[in-house]
Amino acid sequence: MAIRRSILKMMVLFILVVGMAAPASAHHGWRWTADGNFELTGIIQRAELGNPHGILKVDADGEIWTVEVGQPWRHDRVGLKDETLSEGTEIIIVGHRSADPDEKVVKAERVTVGGRLYNLYPNRD
Amino acid sequence: MWEALEATALAQHLRASTYSYPLVNALHIVGLALLLGGITPVDLRLLGLWRGIPLEPLIRTARRTAAFGLVLALAMGLLLFSVRASEYAMHPAFQIKLVLILAALANAAFGEHAHRRHEAGRLRVHAGLSLGLWLAVILAGRAIAYF
Repeated sequence: MAIRRSILKMMVLFILVVGMAAPASAHHGWRWTADGNFELTGIIQRAELGNPHGILKVDADGEIWTVEVGQPWRHDRVGLKDETLSEGTEIIIVGHRSADPDEKVVKAERVTVGGRLYNLYPNRD
Repeated sequence: MWEALEATALAQHLRASTYSYPLVNALHIVGLALLLGGITPVDLRLLGLWRGIPLEPLIRTARRTAAFGLVLALAMGLLLFSVRASEYAMHPAFQIKLVLILAALANAAFGEHAHRRHEAGRLRVHAGLSLGLWLAVILAGRAIAYF
């Protein structure tokens, strides 16, 4: 019986740990972000595009921000090419920043490059 | 070396793909499900649950299920790894996961050995370690995406 109880305890602990880990996600959904739209303008320093998710490093007035953009299908849908997001390009990002104010991370809903707007999440305002 | 893996046609295709990457991702999870789905009932049985269920047929079916799951998870895992090999290779959670997988496989081999020699006490220890190690592998695997 003692063994059974310790197994049960282990399973409960495992579920708790996994449950706590999930909302901390920086890549899935929007729950980790702050409410209200956030705008950022800067120069792309580095672009890592493609699966599992696209990441830009953007220099905004000397501050380096991490910008989460879309997966390939999301970029394809709005005609956003990888070459458009090359180093040295100016980009305007509208999205939601991390709810943690110390974290310079923003998940993009819309980006503007070279005067063209790419709406990655047409169903979000 | 990692760059060479990232530069393969398959890795490039997966990185840019709409459907292949999520499919490979899902099959990796199918592999894990079969692996732990095979292992967990045996470990719990060895730890004292379901004493009325005969051990040998349970082990025989579970071993094949788990072995298939392991091969599937490893193959799909290698594909997922190839997409961002140099990044994952440096990721602490990924490194921990690899060590845990090696420990879990070694533990399984020692468990098989104890089983063949009918050492019930030692076998129970390996069963407990097996549960803990494989759950830790899953946690470390998820941590790659979150940290």
